[in-house]
Amino acid sequence: MPISYFHAAILGLLQGVSELFPVSSLGHTVIIPKLLGWNIHQNAPYFLTFLVALHLATALVLLAFFWRDWVRIVKGIGRSLRDREIAPDDADAKLGWLLVVGTIPAGILGLTLQDKLRSLFASPQYASIFLALNALVLFGAELLRRRAPVTAEDDDERIARTVGWRDTTLVGAAQALALIPGFSRSGASMGGGLLVGLSHKDAARFAFLLATPIIIAAAVLKLPDLAGSQGNGVRGPAAVGAACSAVTAFLAVRFLMRYFENNTLLPFAIYCAAAGTAAAIYFAVS
Amino acid sequence: MNRRTLAALAVVLGIALIAIAIVYWVEPAKSLPSFFPGRQAGSNHHHTKHGIASFLVGLAAFAFAWFNTGPKKTRAAA
Repeated sequence: MPISYFHAAILGLLQGVSELFPVSSLGHTVIIPKLLGWNIHQNAPYFLTFLVALHLATALVLLAFFWRDWVRIVKGIGRSLRDREIAPDDADAKLGWLLVVGTIPAGILGLTLQDKLRSLFASPQYASIFLALNALVLFGAELLRRRAPVTAEDDDERIARTVGWRDTTLVGAAQALALIPGFSRSGASMGGGLLVGLSHKDAARFAFLLATPIIIAAAVLKLPDLAGSQGNGVRGPAAVGAACSAVTAFLAVRFLMRYFENNTLLPFAIYCAAAGTAAAIYFAVS
Repeated sequence: MNRRTLAALAVVLGIALIAIAIVYWVEPAKSLPSFFPGRQAGSNHHHTKHGIASFLVGLAAFAFAWFNTGPKKTRAAA
């Protein structure tokens, strides 16, 4: 069997947390097995197929967690299409279209560059260096962020008022940084949110909403591989890994939405700097 | 540039992008026109993802045109 059930469970638990924490899930998935000396071929098709199942589980948890918001957002998009305008007081419609516009650059860059970037940089050495650089992204976002005005508006209304069309395009494009193992998707989009004037909580919420369609689409595109010959011997571990990933993803998103009410990205930046540097040194000398 | 012209351009762009998407889905890499990203002599690989990207941006162009040709209710009310 290419991946044992034990390894699948550990990687699943790790994926659920690291996909949503701004610390790069892909980077951890590349670095941890090498650090622990697991014999997993990370560029092999079966491993990429296995990862798809974990991503899909994480994305479905995100979808379920924000389900009521998604229902409102989709209805808002429907209303705007019917009326052929985005009414200024329709926060759900504005947020929905912000998510659509933000998803376009991320989708295009992901579809066209994913395979090339992963094959270039999917080594533990590169991933640990980029994990350390991810710390600079998080530090930089905290350093340069605009102070978010405190208002009594609803979360989505606040986001819809603060984020403009150009902002969402830039935040969406920033997600493409996560195609390089070591850089975090949620870190890049949360950082982008902070730079355009969102609070930490709103930036996290916007980042999770923005990530959901991209992760689901990427997983659905690869699902036929799991059903086909590349999934032989991997489906059982993938199911176990996906279940573990779903549990930790749920706990992670619940924790982070509370955490960002009063806290910043700095602890994650410190972690990335320390873990990335330590891993890079370890791989260089070992 | 007025809204009607922008909408017309968006429709043309949308049609072109969806046509490009179909070409990506139907033709293997070796048969793509030379100016298409992903053309590769001798390759039978279909660039499905390039096609999806092109199709989605085409849909976005249509959505842009749809909003730009709608009635100006809010502006009129304001």
